[in-house]
Amino acid sequence: MPAVLGFEGSANKIGVGVVRDGKVLANPRRTYVTAPGTGFLPGDTARHHRAVILDLLQEALTEAGLTSQDIDCIAYTKGPGMGAPLASVAVVARTVAQLWNKPLVGVNHCIGHIEMGRLITGAISPTVLYVSGGNTQVISYSEHRYRIFGETIDIAVGNCLDRFARVLKISNDPSPGYNIEQMAKRGKKLVELPYTVKGMDVSFSGILSFIEDVAQKMLATGECTPEDLCFSLQETVFAMLVEITERAMAHCGSKEALIVGGVGCNVRLQEMMAAMCQERGAQLFATDERFCIDNGAMIAQAGWEMFQAGHRTPLRESGITQSVALRPSFSERLLLLTPGASPKMTFCCTMSLDLLEPQLAPSMGYL
Amino acid sequence: MAEGGLEGGAAVDMQAAHSLGHTADGADSPTSCCCPGDAGAVAVIPSGAHPAARASEVSGWSKSTVPLTQRPGIRHHRFALTVPFPTSLEAEIACGSLAPDAEPHRGILGKDLKVSGCMLEVHWISEDSRLLRISIMNFLDQLALVVNTIKRFGPPVSR
Repeated sequence: MPAVLGFEGSANKIGVGVVRDGKVLANPRRTYVTAPGTGFLPGDTARHHRAVILDLLQEALTEAGLTSQDIDCIAYTKGPGMGAPLASVAVVARTVAQLWNKPLVGVNHCIGHIEMGRLITGAISPTVLYVSGGNTQVISYSEHRYRIFGETIDIAVGNCLDRFARVLKISNDPSPGYNIEQMAKRGKKLVELPYTVKGMDVSFSGILSFIEDVAQKMLATGECTPEDLCFSLQETVFAMLVEITERAMAHCGSKEALIVGGVGCNVRLQEMMAAMCQERGAQLFATDERFCIDNGAMIAQAGWEMFQAGHRTPLRESGITQSVALRPSFSERLLLLTPGASPKMTFCCTMSLDLLEPQLAPSMGYL
Repeated sequence: MAEGGLEGGAAVDMQAAHSLGHTADGADSPTSCCCPGDAGAVAVIPSGAHPAARASEVSGWSKSTVPLTQRPGIRHHRFALTVPFPTSLEAEIACGSLAPDAEPHRGILGKDLKVSGCMLEVHWISEDSRLLRISIMNFLDQLALVVNTIKRFGPPVSR
């Protein structure tokens, strides 16, 4: 029964989690919150993470009731994310792996979200809507691989919401998205905003520019309230996400949808997705804020699966990577991920076949 | 202990004690570089130049690069840091943790990590003093974190 320690700190949340055989034994987390009207910068974020990570590690071990010797593997976020915060967490993972003489596994942040979502909800082979401050993708399993069916062509939906919050100087505590959601509940008027779905993809930078522009004018004339703007923005961007998710589900004949990522905490988004799923006779899965928002246990869980599949990350290859590698071509849009899945999983993380080590391929179960 | 060691041991050497091509010389480096081959390396690709054959002899450098010192006509800043550890194992652990993450601005700045006995030696070469300052400061912050981690969760288990 291997126990895996997972470190996550690719954005402004830092978490350390412990997972053993599908059970989360500990999952403490801290968030770096900046003043209203500002965002978080890499250097300051890394500084925050360095200041708290060792306390979090101790907390995680204590909460799990484990000592360092009970840990079988150290997992950490290898990427994607912000460079300085990623590195500040990775050095601790490498150090404890060497101190305790345990194997190291570098995890893809996106895979962490998906695998935790599947574990917690029990979804078998869902179409995944991965929406956060840094990512917006619709991912589906089709013909033996994860594939990106649709994504943002510019900024993530969470980034759009966060930057809109700055314009209105909405508080970043606990997160700008949460506060926009609460204000939206009090909105009454729907302001028409650009609706930018482009085939299977979406675009948010235009909406952001537009609403930044009109917000000041409309608020000054009293034409609408900040609550109306929050409401209108949510309704518009969430409808776009529902549309591209539905398109992917139709393409794959999928009966399950799973929302992961910080924006997935949003109850309004869950409502709108649920309505779409019901119309299709499909089931919606979503997790609560413990697992939607970046956390260490999701990295531990993905790391656990990779560890079980025999994957190890040698120190020399453990450097952080700010962006996920490669899109081979538009026609073959593959999410290239670190391999790692127990054979019984129907939903396999995989690299493109020609890049995979031959000895790993048979155990992946996707051939 | 660790913090005192860090302050006492940091040697700011503004004159290059070693050129980067020199560190491959076994006679000068009694302990081989702990750092896995390319991990601490700087990818320096001068425009229009081809990778020099001798680059592959330099420990700690990527095989496809030419060390900054080979580029003609460019003046470089150099900075050397020496950090003492209580044991060579701890120095190796620190090197293993700090070497893998690549430097940004790899064409302009690079650093090389090496373990010598109980010492971690870091050498920077940079064409830009501002980037050099940033890299050094980041490294010192990361180093402090590694040292604190060893202090709090060490000592290393016996192998």
